[in-house]
Amino acid sequence: MSETAAATRAIRASRWASSLPLSGKIGLALVIFWLLAAIFGPMLAPYPVGAFVAYDVFDGFSAAHWLGSDYLGRDVLSRLLSGARYTVGLALAAAVLASVTGTSLALFAAVSGRWVDEGLSRLMDTLISIPSKIFALVLVAAFGSSLALLLLIAAITYVPGNYRIARALAVNLNEMDYVQVARTRGEGRAYIARSEILPNMIHPMLADFGLRFVFIVLLLSGLSFLGLGVQPPDADLGSLVRENISGLGEGAPAILMPALAIATLTVGVNLLIDALPGRSRRIAGEG
Amino acid sequence: MASTAMTSNGTRSGMRTALALIAKRLGSAVLTLLLVSMVVFTISSLLPGDAAQETLGQSATPEQVAALRHQLGLDQPAHLRYLNWLGGMLGGNPGQSMVANMPVSEVIADRLPNSLVLAGLTALVAVPLALFIGIFSAMHRGTKLDRGLNIATLSMIAVPEFLVATIAVLIFAVKLRLLPSITLVSEEASWGEFLRSYAMPVMTLAFVVVAQMARMTRAAVIAQLNQPYVEMAMLKGVRPGRIVLTHVLPNAIGPIVNAMALSLSYLLGGAIIVETIFNYPGLASLMVNAVTSRDMPLLQACAMIFCAAYLLLVLIADVVAILANPRLRNQ
Amino acid sequence: MAGDLPFTRRELLGGAIGAGFAATASGLLLPEAALGQQRPKRGGSIRAATLSSSTADTLDPAKGALSTDYVRHYMFYSGLTQYDRQAAPRPALAESIESRDQTLWRVKLRKGVVFHDGGPLTSADVVWSLLRHKLPGTASKVKTVAEQIAEVKAAGPHEVLIRLTGPNADLPAILAQSHFLILRKGTKDFRTANGTGPYTCAQFKPGVRTVAVRNQNYWKPGRPWLDRIELIGIPDEVSRVNALLSGDVQLIMAVNPRSTKRIMGSRSHNLLETRSGLYTDLIMRQDSLPTGNPHFVLAMKYLLDRELIKRALFRNYATIANDQPIPPGHRYYRADLPQRPHDPDRARYHLQKAGLTGVRLPVFASPAAEGSVDMASVLQEYGSRIGLKLAVNRVPADGYWSTHWMKHPLSFGNTNPRPTADLIFSLFYKSDAAWNESGWKNPRFDRLLLEARGEPDEARRKQLYGEMQGLVHQHCGVGIPVFISSLDGFDRRLKGLSAIPIGGFMGYAFAEHVWWDG
Repeated sequence: MSETAAATRAIRASRWASSLPLSGKIGLALVIFWLLAAIFGPMLAPYPVGAFVAYDVFDGFSAAHWLGSDYLGRDVLSRLLSGARYTVGLALAAAVLASVTGTSLALFAAVSGRWVDEGLSRLMDTLISIPSKIFALVLVAAFGSSLALLLLIAAITYVPGNYRIARALAVNLNEMDYVQVARTRGEGRAYIARSEILPNMIHPMLADFGLRFVFIVLLLSGLSFLGLGVQPPDADLGSLVRENISGLGEGAPAILMPALAIATLTVGVNLLIDALPGRSRRIAGEG
Repeated sequence: MASTAMTSNGTRSGMRTALALIAKRLGSAVLTLLLVSMVVFTISSLLPGDAAQETLGQSATPEQVAALRHQLGLDQPAHLRYLNWLGGMLGGNPGQSMVANMPVSEVIADRLPNSLVLAGLTALVAVPLALFIGIFSAMHRGTKLDRGLNIATLSMIAVPEFLVATIAVLIFAVKLRLLPSITLVSEEASWGEFLRSYAMPVMTLAFVVVAQMARMTRAAVIAQLNQPYVEMAMLKGVRPGRIVLTHVLPNAIGPIVNAMALSLSYLLGGAIIVETIFNYPGLASLMVNAVTSRDMPLLQACAMIFCAAYLLLVLIADVVAILANPRLRNQ
Repeated sequence: MAGDLPFTRRELLGGAIGAGFAATASGLLLPEAALGQQRPKRGGSIRAATLSSSTADTLDPAKGALSTDYVRHYMFYSGLTQYDRQAAPRPALAESIESRDQTLWRVKLRKGVVFHDGGPLTSADVVWSLLRHKLPGTASKVKTVAEQIAEVKAAGPHEVLIRLTGPNADLPAILAQSHFLILRKGTKDFRTANGTGPYTCAQFKPGVRTVAVRNQNYWKPGRPWLDRIELIGIPDEVSRVNALLSGDVQLIMAVNPRSTKRIMGSRSHNLLETRSGLYTDLIMRQDSLPTGNPHFVLAMKYLLDRELIKRALFRNYATIANDQPIPPGHRYYRADLPQRPHDPDRARYHLQKAGLTGVRLPVFASPAAEGSVDMASVLQEYGSRIGLKLAVNRVPADGYWSTHWMKHPLSFGNTNPRPTADLIFSLFYKSDAAWNESGWKNPRFDRLLLEARGEPDEARRKQLYGEMQGLVHQHCGVGIPVFISSLDGFDRRLKGLSAIPIGGFMGYAFAEHVWWDG
């Protein structure tokens, strides 16, 4: 019984996957690749992440070091595979946390009364008017840069932005006729928020989630530019770009590969989100 | 029903709502500024060390530190220091920079115009570009053009800022010697030199915000295009361009302008990396300097400015949204 | 004559300078390139970039804290003495400075020197400039050194008497530092500079730029050669190098070894390497466990792979060091101290003797201490091979010196070169020094330090300092893997640059030595 259920699920999943447009397929492939890299990367790395294995720094592609050596003579491929999990894991978790928190608060504010809306908006305005990189810098400098703290800081930095956009959408939608109808019908606030407003916000909010994810990846790399972030010898993808920046003049793989990694990761996530079917149907159906 | 035409009655009531909004916002703006100052003060007091230690640096003896601390008033308890600063601020005096030994207003007056110029130029370039890309891709959604633009904007966001800037400098400054690698802001510069100096910083900043604004524009416009009234208008035979301009945009303008306000407010404070790489003396690097040297009055003043700028932008965004969307007028 | 100072003796003048130097009649020095090759040309305007610039920039020599301040001060002010290419003191504003007992010094000032505002240099200015370092209101960075000055008196309009608290043969070298540059008596306003230096201050905007314009009445006739120098700060190293290569600046300091390939690859640019006593050291506190264990200290010292650090971290722009702070090339350097090798087996042995195999220790590093983060990574990598688990804590640069330096059992420090062995030993290795990084206490070392300070005989001095180097090498809780070279990048059309082992930019005093051949 469970076998057939699992098989059915697998068939459904693969049917869904093949129904995606080309860009969606590419996005899915990239996302799966990076998820696998994040999970299995360290095991697949040919060298330990901190080992000094190459005699020359900023080496090009070679048999011994597929992606060359970095600014200290360490293997780029190994560091890339070991670093992916920080970027993917941290950014994903922080983006989910930020989006969920921001959107929930926004929905709450939109359906609740004037004071709740005002109060939350003031709080969010306060946080958002402090420039995010500087805010993160101060927080890391004050509280340290352990992984949990980096996660929290990245999430806190982006909740207000998400809130702001979600609230604008929610307030707009709150005025829609079908919402008024639902209200006169006597539906509770939670129901309205969950079933009437939220589904119509999903498309832009998912786009926003994709953007938040990118921003957090970039925030992490920006923090490494300012000298904070994951502790050595580990490095997330952004730190890998930053620490090898002087290899840019030579076109060293040590910097090009991590940059490419960041680009493919973020582009992949967003392509996948954009291609997810089902939302346009819902939006068109209402009204 | 979806009536989006602006009647003269509608305009008047829109203005009234807008004015009421502005008045209300001024009140809450003061509250927000106060909150920001408290948050900034609290968090930065959690930072280890203080201005006296940072100024004297590695060569500080404990007596020197104590003496300087007393001179700067840092040995007073936290709430007293905050209230002192607040009192001065309310009286129009942002205080004395602990590190520069100059009034904070002087230090900021030196840098604020630079940040405003950079942000202004970037906005001038980025907003029209973003609107165009966003609306264009929304109108052609699903086509190869749209997908191509999508990937292009995604890639623009995906590259770390310092990488964009460094590559640009390598190509245009070092190899081609077309543009200067750092901004050399001087009063005697001609228009040509001025533009050349700003080309790369503006381009780098625009890279990030254009993509962000374009994507939100596209999403918001699409959300409207899927509404039934648009289908109805198309059935009535209205041209797509007119549909977008007169029917869709006024409804979509709320989220669009909101996203723009967010992106543009980023331009003041988030320019830290651009300011570092191009050695641009702007407010963001001033604020980071203030953090590193624990210069509290300067830090607070910078935070106030960023906050005020953001609130102003958001206020403009909301006013525009109200004037455009009749549904929001009677709030 | 016994009691004479080193630099008045002919043989030192002739021997130390070597080929390529000539002292002119007024005791000035000309850099090597000038002789026989080309004559300096007047004119030209350059832009130089240092590595920092902030609202803390100052025109008060006493408050100079960063290299950018020192460069600025040497442009506008002159000192009683100045450094030559061996970092030995030469006459500057002081025509002669002599002492019989190294305690009472007689300074004869040069006549006819004027300040930028036209006023003459007199002994009153010197007295005021020196004594202000002792006043707490000045917040002078060299207050502790100035405490050795007991009294300064004018003995005539061009003669000054300095009495020290104890004998110190290095007073002339101390006075050549940028902090002791001479100001006009009573200067209160440091928004501009009024000095006797080679350039006058045309513009000073802290955190933005400083503009220096040739001083037509400089006391060295014919100098300086440049018309104008604009000094800016570019904190980001890659931007700094890009600015040089794109022609926006003509001289930069603090080039990262990784950028040297790009600069050497450019036909219009060149690199100046200054070897000096600059080092980043591993600090093992002797007053806490487990680092206070002498076996642990030896284990860490053997664990340092100096060759790898020199090659990978500094691309060979470094000199192997031997866990003591006097660099090769210094006149008191002890050459016969056996070089400690990189020996993981011996490190493992000492670790076991210390009973610390398998132990986990945090080590604090920061970009504030150049190369420390990468050194920590190297140590961690090797440590894991001998059973020592080091956890690298990279902390931000700001606040490092006040919050982390010397405060943890394992941390890193960074020491700028000092002009004299006495200064570096007194400031960083004396038992009761505020910056005794490891907190070691060695009474014999302290005694030798005091004895060497006032010792007039060169040979005996060298012997004393040699023994002190041995003591530090053996017993002190700091590990010094390499001496880091300072690297400056410059446009080839800028001539006259050479290395002075005080620091980059010719010991920060490049402004009066260079000319533009463009």
